[in-house]
Amino acid sequence: MAKDARILMTFPVTATSHRLDEARARGQYTALEKALKTMTPTEIGKEVTASGLQGRGGAAFSAGRKWSVIQLDDGQPHYLCANADEGEPGTFKDRWILENSPHQLIESMVIAAYALQVRHAFVYMRGEFSGPYERLQGALDEAYAAGLVGERILGTDFSCDILIYRGAGSYVCGEASALITSIEGKRGYPRNRPPRLTVKGLYQRPTVINNVETLSNIAWIVNHGSAAFKAIGTPKAPGTRLISISGHIARPGVYEIEYGYSWKRLIYDDCGGMLEGARLKCVIPGGISTKVLTGEEVEGLNLDPAEVEAAGSSMGSGGMVAIAEGTCMVRLLQVLLRFYHHESCGQCTPCREGMGWMHRIIDRIVAGQGRLEDLDRMIQISRLQDGNTICGMGDAAGYAVIGILAKYRHEFEHWIKNGSSMFEGNLECRRSS
Amino acid sequence: MPQIFIDGQPFEARTEQTVMQVADENGIYIPRLCWHPQLSIAGNCRICVVQIEGRSWVEISCNMPVSEGLRVLTDTELVRAHRKATMQFLTLNHPVDCGICDKAGECTLQDYHVAYNGEASISHEPKVVATKFYELSSRITLDNERCILCTRCVRFTREVSQSHALGVLDRGDHSVIRPAGGEGARPLEQDAYSDNIIDICPVGALLSRQFLYKERVWYLKATPSVCPGCARGCTIDIWHRRPEWALKSLDPRHNASISRVTPRDNPAVNGPWVCNKARDLAQLLERPRAHAPMTRGREVGLDAALAAARALIGKARHPVALVSSWASNEELQAFKAAFGARFTCFVKADHQPAEDEVVQDGLLIRADKNPNGDTARALFGDAAPTFAPDTDLVLVWGEGADFARLPRGVPVILLGAFLAPENGHAEVFFPLSVMTERRGHYTNFQGITSAFEACFAPAPGVVHAVQVFEKLALREAVTS
Repeated sequence: MAKDARILMTFPVTATSHRLDEARARGQYTALEKALKTMTPTEIGKEVTASGLQGRGGAAFSAGRKWSVIQLDDGQPHYLCANADEGEPGTFKDRWILENSPHQLIESMVIAAYALQVRHAFVYMRGEFSGPYERLQGALDEAYAAGLVGERILGTDFSCDILIYRGAGSYVCGEASALITSIEGKRGYPRNRPPRLTVKGLYQRPTVINNVETLSNIAWIVNHGSAAFKAIGTPKAPGTRLISISGHIARPGVYEIEYGYSWKRLIYDDCGGMLEGARLKCVIPGGISTKVLTGEEVEGLNLDPAEVEAAGSSMGSGGMVAIAEGTCMVRLLQVLLRFYHHESCGQCTPCREGMGWMHRIIDRIVAGQGRLEDLDRMIQISRLQDGNTICGMGDAAGYAVIGILAKYRHEFEHWIKNGSSMFEGNLECRRSS
Repeated sequence: MPQIFIDGQPFEARTEQTVMQVADENGIYIPRLCWHPQLSIAGNCRICVVQIEGRSWVEISCNMPVSEGLRVLTDTELVRAHRKATMQFLTLNHPVDCGICDKAGECTLQDYHVAYNGEASISHEPKVVATKFYELSSRITLDNERCILCTRCVRFTREVSQSHALGVLDRGDHSVIRPAGGEGARPLEQDAYSDNIIDICPVGALLSRQFLYKERVWYLKATPSVCPGCARGCTIDIWHRRPEWALKSLDPRHNASISRVTPRDNPAVNGPWVCNKARDLAQLLERPRAHAPMTRGREVGLDAALAAARALIGKARHPVALVSSWASNEELQAFKAAFGARFTCFVKADHQPAEDEVVQDGLLIRADKNPNGDTARALFGDAAPTFAPDTDLVLVWGEGADFARLPRGVPVILLGAFLAPENGHAEVFFPLSVMTERRGHYTNFQGITSAFEACFAPAPGVVHAVQVFEKLALREAVTS
């Protein structure tokens, strides 16, 4: 099978392709009209559940199941938040939607708001995204002017406002509960569950938080039906996936692939292979919190969550980093741990203390002061954090550490024994002389 | 009423309860650092983990709602391993300077280290350096290295005292507690309840500046008492040197002085809190004391003073008494029994609100700055003091009387604990004991009676008011 279906990247990007008139010419907002005028909220919810759409932020939770927790007739306000905080290193796929297809998101959000009976929907946008913010705000202004958002949308009884809230540069605020805490104007700390956010979320009301890419699929599903959506991808993971690929690769960027697409084909055909013709050493499949897969492991794999999971990792957030032969994994882990240490919010004990601890250990190893027992110590710290933190960040850092140490322990041992890197501490891909 | 099982034992729980609360109610101890019964759930310390039977992971009990048939285990191997790990994490950047820490001896982290860890740190890394002696207010200093960021203090200022004075600054292991700015936040200096954060701090991060480096707590004894600062009558512990650890070489006053005051948890009156005035009780009770009975400013023996007073009372036809609203129930009863019929009695306020003091608020502080005014008024009426023209003797008991308004030329019998200019002008003066030198009861404005115990032996030369009244009354009975 070719696996070449497209849902999001269906048009050539030009200087004006993000505008409302061109989006409408491509058929944007027909799904909104269909949803508001011919479907009930429950019908849309059923359609989304039937489509098998999974969250694209990293956890791959069923969107329909998340939505189904919301009781439409409970008399409370409900909220919808689009998670556009996209802070996972190596992940920049939502940015493509925000910059190039903002109306896809807006249309889908209004449909989702209708399905969940939401009056006020939010987009929580990464603070560093100033270009995407301008695009989305511009698109929102256009949509308001055209009566596609706001009061009595398309002449129906349904009204919905979309507000953009810009973050202030915290990684943790991409976590759903920290995100809503941040919208509430508080320090961006994740919250303890229970209660689930779909029970008590933003302003203590039932709240659905979906990734930008997840939401952007809704309009397509409403237009084409869940059966058509299920026909794309694999039976357990329907649809397509935006993959942002970076690292030592010839043509980094955002690619839309159908679930089940060949990994080899993505790297070697679509992305033009590795830089300088280097060999692929390993791949971080979906954001740095997913376990690395070696070049050999990736070779025969398809981009199917089930296959990636069987290989011991996950597709995560879709932020893929390709790493060439000759890269020093010790330095790579140091970079990752510096990031986690810097971004730990400091609320709960294991992550607050453990991240700094591991960062200091790896710094010491890199400074030539490492001991062999440090490696087991880092694994021990990772294990002790796992499952005992308020949000998933403690677990995630542990996966990165355990993943790299499991496969490249010899590089660490080499550095500890010899006081220097096997690969001269290389993080760049250089032409072999 | 769901039934849940903790370590196999069945317990009846209420639907809104958490596992932690059910365990607490039933005497099963689950360790906690960030959790406090009066504050919201933060769930950040991760020491209260328990395991649900059949699951291979742990969850925090402070945020675990009860459900019918829930079976939790509080002491499995996995739970112990996680608690031990949490203790390793908590002490990773904690200076472990217990030797010079005021909290040592009553520190939760110390106790938990013994109970749940018991091992030296497995870390070789240098500790994170943070601020020491950060002055949060004139009363409180903060040691950020000892802080474990449980945020109890932050939640206290938001939820209880509502000054919103504190917040968390920065991220990760460089997070620090700092004064919060912004709308609605008041400085901690203006928080009349600020010192409670010292008590609820589970480590030695928040320290009382007046108690700093003064005592090791294991040399101290806590005597139950009642704060006389207002009509709330908060139950308190007065901490003072244990008699068996009495200092022999330094100033003997150290053995009979108040080291500090902490709240004594009492849901009926003050809960686990008191205001800063109670903390400063020493300043109130340890003012310079009167040590000898006097007649017209001349020091005399107690018997001579009693004789002089008896003579005055004996010949008075229209004596007036100003009764103390700081007197205990027992003292008021004794006065009533001795002189209730003989004197025209009025109740006076011994203390008025000070200029910089919170007069009344919605939490604890009451406008009546006397502990036993209601009891006194119930016994002696609530009329304002008036002096009939034929008044020929005034008995003043305690502080707060306006001597300028007493009828001129009428002899005064004065009973007081502290040095005051009026003492020498009285016809007869008796030096009284203060509340830390005797036991008794106060009944607060809600009608709740609380007891206070004696902390120290009475200072030399002073006499209990009850003894004075009894001895004067004895003679009174004989002569009449």
